[in-house]
Amino acid sequence: MAGAATVAVSEPATRETFELFIIHEAKLLDERRFREWMDLFTEDGTYWVPASDEQKSPFDHVSLFYDDRALMKTRIERLEHPRIHVQTPPSRTAHIVGNVLIERANASTGETLISSSVLMAEFREDTQRLFAGRQYHRLRLTPDGFRIVQKRVNLINCDGAFDAIAVPI
Amino acid sequence: MSMAHSSDPEQISALIEPGRVHRRVYTDPDIFELEMDRLFGRAWLFVGHASQVPNPGDFITGELGRQPVVMTRHRDGTIHVLFNRCTHRGAKVVNERCGHAARLTCCYHGWTFDTDGKLVGVPIPEGAAAGFRMSDFNLAAVPRVAQYRGFVFASMAARGVSFEDQIGPVKGSIDDLVDRAPDGELAFDMGAHRYAYNGNWKLQVENVLDSYHVPFGHASTVNKQGVQFARREGDKAGAKVVEADKNTTKTAASWRDRKGYVSGNGHGWTSNTILDEGKRSSPAFDDYKRVLVEKVGAERAEQILTPRLHNTLIYPNVSIMGLNIHVRVIRPIAVDRTEVIVYPVRLVGAPDAMNFGNLRLLNVTHSAASFVQTDDVEAFVRAQKGLASRATDWVDISRGLGSEEQDREHNALRGAAVQELAVRAQYKAWLGYMREAA
Repeated sequence: MAGAATVAVSEPATRETFELFIIHEAKLLDERRFREWMDLFTEDGTYWVPASDEQKSPFDHVSLFYDDRALMKTRIERLEHPRIHVQTPPSRTAHIVGNVLIERANASTGETLISSSVLMAEFREDTQRLFAGRQYHRLRLTPDGFRIVQKRVNLINCDGAFDAIAVPI
Repeated sequence: MSMAHSSDPEQISALIEPGRVHRRVYTDPDIFELEMDRLFGRAWLFVGHASQVPNPGDFITGELGRQPVVMTRHRDGTIHVLFNRCTHRGAKVVNERCGHAARLTCCYHGWTFDTDGKLVGVPIPEGAAAGFRMSDFNLAAVPRVAQYRGFVFASMAARGVSFEDQIGPVKGSIDDLVDRAPDGELAFDMGAHRYAYNGNWKLQVENVLDSYHVPFGHASTVNKQGVQFARREGDKAGAKVVEADKNTTKTAASWRDRKGYVSGNGHGWTSNTILDEGKRSSPAFDDYKRVLVEKVGAERAEQILTPRLHNTLIYPNVSIMGLNIHVRVIRPIAVDRTEVIVYPVRLVGAPDAMNFGNLRLLNVTHSAASFVQTDDVEAFVRAQKGLASRATDWVDISRGLGSEEQDREHNALRGAAVQELAVRAQYKAWLGYMREAA
């Protein structure tokens, strides 16, 4: 399968290009390849899961996740720590992403906004639960291929009370 | 000995010993029901903050214990805490978590109440029974409501200890937080984190003043130098938790030196260590400090910015954290299910960048997906599972028993924060509520 890093700059980006990128990203999460997942983000990239419906900003309202690269790195170091109690045993996840649409393409910045539906089933400690929503990937074309400037996941239950969440969605 | 359905004072007392607690206080549904009547039914509980209902007609809904309530701002500016239950057939009147309305109308038959609870409209009034008086059907008010610097507390008991007497010196922890705002005012207007767990509510309550668990429970947030990641805007480093020796997980001396205080009625707080020796600095923090100095003067600003408090518990349902600042409300749902609501606080008058710095850190410490709180929640879940065991009926809370000292300056008892003074104080208060019929 075409990985993110293998999308050549010269190829015209089609809906399928972006769909493959998002499928690849989900696969990295399911395989717990968190460092490779982080490397999909630009240096100024952010991962955002708002905690309210139609949340406008991460700056004046709480978020489930709002990680820049530094926080992403701390999060991943913790996920690799032998004494992360909330991942003993670890979660297993299965993502399905689909309904991919190109929302906006900006020729001057080289950025494209892609939306898709996401379902993530998570199993841990005899309990399976489901996360669902629509996600938005702002992608920038770099010499290494597309990179994520922002991944935003709008969960349908974003303002609900969650049992502990340890892995990114 | 069978104690399954007993609310007898002697049998309740037998559940608590000086250094240990019977497992039933965490696992027995009958004890939980009794707590809802006798403890949550009487104690002064945190309801919300005045800034959540800034304008007449604003409301928030929530629960006191398990009972639905609505807090409103009436036209005359007063705050009302009302039972959110239609006086007609019992439906919950206000369904939204927060909002604005000129009148509160029940969805079922359309009974309409003013924002102070007064019944002002009943459809088809000619059908009312002889002698029906609207004034008998106002929304019931929670009997006692008190406010301190915007924090609204209520007691569902008509009589009992006054709020002032009940809260005592722990009021100082509210001051400590509010005084950090250059305008001397907080705003609860940045949303709230919500997390839940399959465990008893007291597991979270006990945890907030427990410094003993940090080096091990939060090991995954501590780096090779024994330092927890920086948790405050402008901090260059976090708190030293573990000695920097790869062959040991020995708790750092500075962490062991933290003090715990209890001031009666189950309340208490833990002290903070000086984290930065005055070196805390970042553009956002420096700007904030400048604004604070302008408002309160350099000397007072220095006092305000010197870390003194780590965490404070106002028993039984709210804690105030002074490190990565927030207010946390503990909501019992069932004997083995609890929800926790974590409010970030906006320091009114502080630069936006400073408030964002606090918010950003709260996301990673106390959201449902945080680095810190998730390991606590895992411990609560495992405690609830472990307590199903009958290997022994007793939970040990004896660390430091007998070594407590009087602290006249704080009008409190003092011990090391890595001991269990605070838990014992909570159970002393628990017994006070639970022994007496409501």
